[in-house]
Amino acid sequence: MKYYISVDGRAHEVEVVERLGELVVSLDGKPFDARYLEVDDLGQVVILHEGKSFGLSIEGDANQKFVTLAGHVRDVKIEDEREKAAHAAERAKNKGGGSVTAVMPGVVVEVLVQKGSVVEKGSPLLVLSAMKMQNEITSLVEGVVSDVHVTAGQAVAGGAKLVTIKVPEGS
Amino acid sequence: MFDRILIANRGEIALRVIRTAREMGIETVAVCSDWDQKALHTRMAHVAVPLGGNLPSESYLRVDKILDAAKKTGAQAIHPGYGFLSENANFARAVREAGLVWIGPPPEAIEAMGDKIKSRRRMKEAGVPVVPGLVDPVDDAAAAKVAAKPIGYPIALKAAAGGGGKGIRIVREESAMDSAFRTASGEAKASFGDGRIYLERYLDRPRHIEVQLLFDHQGNGVHYGVRECSIQRRHQKLLEECPSVVIDDKTREAMGEVALKAGRAVGYQNAGTVEFLWSNGEFFFLEMNTRLQVEHPVTEMVTGVDLVREQIRVASGEALGYGQERVRWNGWAIEIRINAEDPRNKFLPSIGTIHNLRMPGGPFLRLDLGMYRGMEVGPNYDPMLGKLIVWGATREEAIARCSRALQELNVGGVRTSCPAALAVLQDKRFQQGDFDTHFLESMDLSSTSPEHDGVVAVAAAIARHHQQRRTALKTSAADRNGWVARSRAQVQAPLVRTSMPGGGA
Repeated sequence: MKYYISVDGRAHEVEVVERLGELVVSLDGKPFDARYLEVDDLGQVVILHEGKSFGLSIEGDANQKFVTLAGHVRDVKIEDEREKAAHAAERAKNKGGGSVTAVMPGVVVEVLVQKGSVVEKGSPLLVLSAMKMQNEITSLVEGVVSDVHVTAGQAVAGGAKLVTIKVPEGS
Repeated sequence: MFDRILIANRGEIALRVIRTAREMGIETVAVCSDWDQKALHTRMAHVAVPLGGNLPSESYLRVDKILDAAKKTGAQAIHPGYGFLSENANFARAVREAGLVWIGPPPEAIEAMGDKIKSRRRMKEAGVPVVPGLVDPVDDAAAAKVAAKPIGYPIALKAAAGGGGKGIRIVREESAMDSAFRTASGEAKASFGDGRIYLERYLDRPRHIEVQLLFDHQGNGVHYGVRECSIQRRHQKLLEECPSVVIDDKTREAMGEVALKAGRAVGYQNAGTVEFLWSNGEFFFLEMNTRLQVEHPVTEMVTGVDLVREQIRVASGEALGYGQERVRWNGWAIEIRINAEDPRNKFLPSIGTIHNLRMPGGPFLRLDLGMYRGMEVGPNYDPMLGKLIVWGATREEAIARCSRALQELNVGGVRTSCPAALAVLQDKRFQQGDFDTHFLESMDLSSTSPEHDGVVAVAAAIARHHQQRRTALKTSAADRNGWVARSRAQVQAPLVRTSMPGGGA
């Protein structure tokens, strides 16, 4: 199976093939000698590579993992061939627009835009209160607000859609 | 001395107090919300009293419930920790009126220092230097713009009744005032019920230096030197040191004297901290924290003094028993706050269940932790999970030890501030002592070095590969609901019995 992997935004391809019960791995087209040992069932693993050992901690789901190595955490995104194609199609459709979601549960304090509002990159969209702090949620793109999913005073769950922004055609 | 004290707090600070009390032979009473019934402080105290509820307002902020718990358990004194009711003068008063001892400063001193505007006026009168540009609080952005003109930008907006970094914004130009004022005032209103904001000049390359004080009830006071707390963002500290590279012995004594003067001006008792802004050799009074602080362990590591023990001792009426000349400083200490927050995402709080906890060890290392494996980190409480503190003979040694310890530490289940702290420790400018309070905000924490990318990519791919294989194997078992499983068990039961010689019936 071939995986398209981004480590903090840096792209790599890893192929993992099971041959006679052994994993044969290649990195960016070249053979990569690696033994993978699980320390426990909580995500602590050891990789033995070229005579060195690396203690890592791996968390997350199939597509998004956080890998900790010597205290530094890397954001790792993983796609197989089918997922890569599907995600590329989705991105092309939204052109970088789409929904702004709550990164954590909180309460909407104030909504600063409405349907039809024109926003720039960095424009404040709403104020979200979480863990006693108020945070201004800003737009990551230039576009038009096509939908506001929340109202002031509403409690939102992590991952909830807040505002949808449409990037105009031809931009 | 007391036989039994109640700790009106949770998390690592509750544990911190319980530990010293146990060492002094004092029994401890913990209080806990429903959420914290399994928490470490609940488990480690001699007695734990449930307060009910999950929100602070239903539990750790309920004066009536806490006093009731103290009465029921026969506690003679209350230690408030930090946060929650620790700087609430009415609580201190209620504790005393209930016939209990308040392990903290007199309510009048809390009040005098609690309002930032009043406290600075009072300090100015007492001859303590204060930050330039102090004006009366304003309640709208337009008034703030007018008031800002004579002070000059950049301007700091601060909640009149603030604390803990809430309701604070920095405005670098007039055009940013509206948005900053809206959020600061909103936050202040939500947190303190008071949306008034005051303005002051933001100092050039300032450092946050603070002095630890302790006064007994007989009028004796000492300072335990300075702490360097400039590594912070939005006024939330991340890393603290004792002492500071910019403070020599002479300056330390000068700051200590001024801090003692500030404390005496309000009739202070027990432990407290005077915070200063230091800029180009000058220092200005910022505020006084009328409680024990999160970062007190760095002072303990360097002076060898257990500050909680001193707090309990002087609260019980004992005299300090030593003078300033007996306070000595040895080596260097660094503390890292382990917060459940994501440095990659504006340090937004991160919630989840802690698993896969790997703790550092080795020489001259101290862990003050409220977290444990299986702990649910929720949105209701402060995101601090604990602190890692190291001591070294020199600053270089302390930095190396602290980096090493952070590389050993692994907190799984939530994102933590630790990678940001490690990045600070590994930064040349920090190592050379060249930083100010803007240092952390100016750092790029969005990426890591590409070294070892290969190992990380391969490990992630293999982890996913294994995960998928396991899921594929598990599917049929997971599909069985209770009814199916039960009928299968019935059908299979006789077969199992007959096929297993000597087994079953």
